[in-house]
Amino acid sequence: MASGHSGLQKEVLALYRSALRMVRTKPVATRPSFRLFIRYSFKTQAESISPRDVSAIEHLLRKGRRQLETYEDIKVRNIWVSKAMQEWEEKEGGRRNLQ
Amino acid sequence: MQSLIARSAFVRSQAARVPVVRTFASSAARFQATPAEKPVLQKEFKIYRWNPDQPAEKPTLQSYTIDLNQCGPMILDALIKIKNEIDPTLTFRRSCREGICGSCAMNINGQNTLACLCRIERDSGKDSKIYPLPHMYIVKDLVPDLTLFYKQYKSIEPYLKNDNPPQGREFLQSQEDRRKLDGMYECILCACCSTSCPSYWWNQDVYLGPATLMAAYRWIADSRDTYKAERKEKLQNEMSLYRCHTIFNCARTCPKGLNPAQAIAKLKLELAAE
Repeated sequence: MASGHSGLQKEVLALYRSALRMVRTKPVATRPSFRLFIRYSFKTQAESISPRDVSAIEHLLRKGRRQLETYEDIKVRNIWVSKAMQEWEEKEGGRRNLQ
Repeated sequence: MQSLIARSAFVRSQAARVPVVRTFASSAARFQATPAEKPVLQKEFKIYRWNPDQPAEKPTLQSYTIDLNQCGPMILDALIKIKNEIDPTLTFRRSCREGICGSCAMNINGQNTLACLCRIERDSGKDSKIYPLPHMYIVKDLVPDLTLFYKQYKSIEPYLKNDNPPQGREFLQSQEDRRKLDGMYECILCACCSTSCPSYWWNQDVYLGPATLMAAYRWIADSRDTYKAERKEKLQNEMSLYRCHTIFNCARTCPKGLNPAQAIAKLKLELAAE
């Protein structure tokens, strides 16, 4: 294992990557909302379960893939940002320096 | 205007007269007979519960006890009663309650069937166990994820394909040709058969499963379809069709009494005869 990641970790990272790449297909004005939504869902859900709970992670992966499939549609142009997400962004603001 | 007032007064007097008659009728009935009190017949239902909002928690069996004499005869009636009166968080699919929509497919006492067509055993000593369809990903409680199942169904192009259909008139078929479709067109895609098939459990990603294969044969057998060769060509590989090992669980479990195994056997024969 050169990368030091397990198969499951790689799958999660691959999903995270493809989700972030999906953001680029969206209109420039709404990209921050999409990016916040993706980062928020990954970070909060990763914190909520144990890294050893394989079946729960697999369920979240399946759910995430299904969600991504929906959001990839070109007709989806904007995404709603909830209050919880905004609060999370303000708290994590210092660490947000992607683009 | 005058006549309008007169008419409304007439309607009012009519309305006033009706309740008097009704009171009389119901009070007379009250003296006739008292409805027989049914004895209480408690029965325990053990139902699979899993909540996606707490993915870290393991699935559990939750037990509910209801009075069968205050409930309809079918498992679906019991589920609805439990959801209405005991636990509104219980989640399951249901729609027609008469075995034509295929929504309420689940595993009841070890058998895949439709909850609306499955009678409750009136033996209060034994509990009934209700699980979702086996070997499917679960969305919540008794709701399985059927995305793959529907994708497979879509992949066989379940519609009539004909390059020159008759213009401006009906598409005729002899009675004999029509009879070939009997026993296949009745399928409601409840997924009971596919999820009872061990081959499908282990090879969902490559094997189409009995429901989809029967649908595939339904279009191959149709005299009006002209794409038979293409349809057969698609199935001509190791996995899609030939993972069927004639286990017959599909025919045994089908709540509509169909025989997917027979359709698959005919399909195999046609493919082998090519």
